[in-house]
Amino acid sequence: MLADDMACNARNKYPAQVFNNENHRLNLYGDNVEVDYRGYEVTVENFLRVLTGRHETAVPRSKRLLSDEGSHILLYMTGHGGDEFLKFQDSEELQSHDLADAVKQMKEKGRFKELLIMVDTCQAATLFSQLHSPGVLAIGSSLKGENSYSHHLDSDVGVSVVDRFTFYTLAFFERLNMYDNASLSSLFSSYNPSLLLSTAYYRTDLYPRQMEQVPVTNFFGSVMETIHTDHPYRYSKRKGSSKGKIEMSLDQAVQDEKRRILSNLGDQNIDSDTKCPMGSMIHMWNSILDEIEKFEDRDTLVYYGLVMMLPLLAVSSWLSS
Amino acid sequence: MAEISESSNSSKISSPKAEQEEDDFDSNTMRRTKPGLKRLALAFSVLFSFLLGFPLLWKSIEIYRAPLSFKDVDLLFERIKSNPLQFPCNFRAIFVGFDSKTSEELSRLGYSISNRMTGLASKTPQCGTCSGNFSVSVMIDSNSGCVESRHTPNACSHQCGEIRSVDFGANDDTVDDKLESALGDCSGKSYTVVVVNGDTGYKAVIGKYRHAWIVGRFSEEEAVLKISEIFVEVFMKGGNEEGAIHGEFMPVGADGRIVLSYNLLNANPQDWIYDWDFDRIDEDMLSPVVEALRNVANISVESQVLYHTPKSSYSHWDDERGAHIFSVGDLPFFVNSNEWHLDTSIAAGGRSKILHFVVYIPSAKECPLLLQLPDGEISKTNGFISPMWGGVIVWNPPKCLREPESGHPAKHKISSHDLQMINEVFMGQLRQLFGLTSDSLFLGRLGKAIQLTSDKGFTEWELDVLSRQHACFNLHSCATTLGSLSRLVQSLPRMIIMDEIGKQVDFSLEAAKQAENDASLGIFDSSADSSRQARSLAEDAFFHPSIMSVSYYSFEHCFAVYSPFFLPVSLHVILAALKEWKRYKQEKTKYLTWKAKVDTAAS
Repeated sequence: MLADDMACNARNKYPAQVFNNENHRLNLYGDNVEVDYRGYEVTVENFLRVLTGRHETAVPRSKRLLSDEGSHILLYMTGHGGDEFLKFQDSEELQSHDLADAVKQMKEKGRFKELLIMVDTCQAATLFSQLHSPGVLAIGSSLKGENSYSHHLDSDVGVSVVDRFTFYTLAFFERLNMYDNASLSSLFSSYNPSLLLSTAYYRTDLYPRQMEQVPVTNFFGSVMETIHTDHPYRYSKRKGSSKGKIEMSLDQAVQDEKRRILSNLGDQNIDSDTKCPMGSMIHMWNSILDEIEKFEDRDTLVYYGLVMMLPLLAVSSWLSS
Repeated sequence: MAEISESSNSSKISSPKAEQEEDDFDSNTMRRTKPGLKRLALAFSVLFSFLLGFPLLWKSIEIYRAPLSFKDVDLLFERIKSNPLQFPCNFRAIFVGFDSKTSEELSRLGYSISNRMTGLASKTPQCGTCSGNFSVSVMIDSNSGCVESRHTPNACSHQCGEIRSVDFGANDDTVDDKLESALGDCSGKSYTVVVVNGDTGYKAVIGKYRHAWIVGRFSEEEAVLKISEIFVEVFMKGGNEEGAIHGEFMPVGADGRIVLSYNLLNANPQDWIYDWDFDRIDEDMLSPVVEALRNVANISVESQVLYHTPKSSYSHWDDERGAHIFSVGDLPFFVNSNEWHLDTSIAAGGRSKILHFVVYIPSAKECPLLLQLPDGEISKTNGFISPMWGGVIVWNPPKCLREPESGHPAKHKISSHDLQMINEVFMGQLRQLFGLTSDSLFLGRLGKAIQLTSDKGFTEWELDVLSRQHACFNLHSCATTLGSLSRLVQSLPRMIIMDEIGKQVDFSLEAAKQAENDASLGIFDSSADSSRQARSLAEDAFFHPSIMSVSYYSFEHCFAVYSPFFLPVSLHVILAALKEWKRYKQEKTKYLTWKAKVDTAAS
């Protein structure tokens, strides 16, 4: 999710390129980068929808988080923030309790096994202070009351290219190669407070394993668990097997809709609770409400009501004359 | 006004008596006329119209919440949690070629078999296994007729002597089919092991349907042990557990579907371009499998051919084998998610599960590419799976011949023989992903057994195992999802709940009840089907896009929005009404005092 897609910004002197250093050696926006939400689509609501999985039916798979009970998720958030919030688009805030609630729902629904949250904003550690779900690791670039700073200014491009926390994280990974078995504790301890100009704080109380035993490839590098296939499954064709044809139905959406547009079972009467002491009164009131509900067009009811006020007004003004 | 003029008039023509009256008349405490009701009526009519309008306003800002049956959801949750779904299973053991025994002896034999089975099965009570009270019946089919053990609750009949007439020395597949026809209608209802008294050795075969047979010479005890092992390890638990995925069960997608996505990857099309006849794979292999698995999942198949898809791990050249070798340690890095655009299915819904099956054709620089196992051997299949994701096979073009420089690289098609081999490995991988072994050998503690392979990819007893596991998992998932939904809905009292969600919850509960009923009757496949529907409806309800807590305002917010409109005005109206009422009362007492004075003066 990029609220400001800098690589595609019209004022970027190097179009489609984002560097982490003023020496311009490493282009972070390579050929394979896929941005799913950019610009105005980056809102708190969309972010929470991605996390909890509550999308409209038409949202394509590339815009969904397709995780299951065994997934490890990396959530990296950076920008402006403060005490218990993260700023979105200069107009909205993501509050720490909203994030904690979304993570709790994710865990209940089994949408992740392990989650690593990295936050690079001012007072970053406050953003994950309300988390309670197991299996979550979080690291923030600064404590409450501290600011996080950018690393250096690239006078050629005209902006500060990278924040300090992100710069040192990237430097750590650039030093590794694919087969190194670096652990998360080495990553977390690589942050030097005097270089960061803030204290990188991490919380491991919700995570069951020890940091030293968790490799960084647990979250970084899209590494998969694999099992070798020992044997092929040899079978003999039966005589006279029918050649079935599988029709690929392109209207999957129609099938989905069939489940959603459920047939109307008829009006369901709300059973009034007759055990209530004022039973008859409430029954009458409920029947009045039912009558009102049977009006197909609520707007006409409102109009009738407004129109009826006029005679009332007329009567009262005649009385006062 | 009129009163004052009247009184002034009367004061002019007044008699001394009237003057006296006038002196007594104090306009602060008395009045001559009855106070009118017009002012009071006016004030109260406005107040009344406000009061009338208030319920209408309340109804118009009411949040619509469809009634959800929380009680039923809680009941379902408790039921599923306390006793996980267990299915009644029936087992039969048939002895052929032994001396005749009495019915009591057979009952004793059946009793010892079921004891042994309870001992074996009780170690791991998994979800979806056969329930504790399974029934075992024993039968003997000898020259002097058939004897059955007593107490066979679900008796099915087959012709006596039919099983004896089967020639167990023939080809395994033939024996299997003959047994299937001999067992008649018993084959659909129970699991059978036929014990044949033979002379030589020991051979055990597990058929494609729901029976197995063992041929050999053994004593009664040995027979009991072998029979109970086959019943428990094979028919109840699904065979080998090594080679399959430990502990991780692969559920179907949340909407009850799986999309099998087949991809042919040309790593470097400058070297060679390969195509495949996917329709053949579809017809030969996939349509029977899709049909066989229709109760477990709604499967659809897609395929694509991709170009310029290098892998991200490395390989090294091995002179001895004359090939590029990559090892098991490279496998986690093999799939290059950056450049392999596999998940591009438009037809797959957002909640379907996609399994990717990839044929990777290496470039000329890395051809032939072989997988070396930890023990140093080269893999026979050259393929691996990643649980819940799919499988990869590396296929090397024949002889790795690169066309001489001729401009455009030539297009080739994978030969049908190679395609058949690829088919077989894919089938093995699909079985592995579902938790079954890709091997055709069952390694039990008491010896090996040959597992016959089915052209549907799964034998009937394996489909039973899958149906049971998925039914149990789906019901459990449905119950927890509905429980989470009800907790969520109750914690947000101002969230709109649409009718659709209410209906989905109701249908889901109905399907879950249906699945539980079917399970208790032992109908595995329709139980799996109903449970799949129950789960997908529950997931639809839970993941309905309108349930976002961030969009709904608290009651305080609502109050803060509406109160500036109504509070000040209503305050004034009420005050005015009260003032009018007080004034009316005052005027009334004034009138009454004057009236009293007049009366006393008159009397």
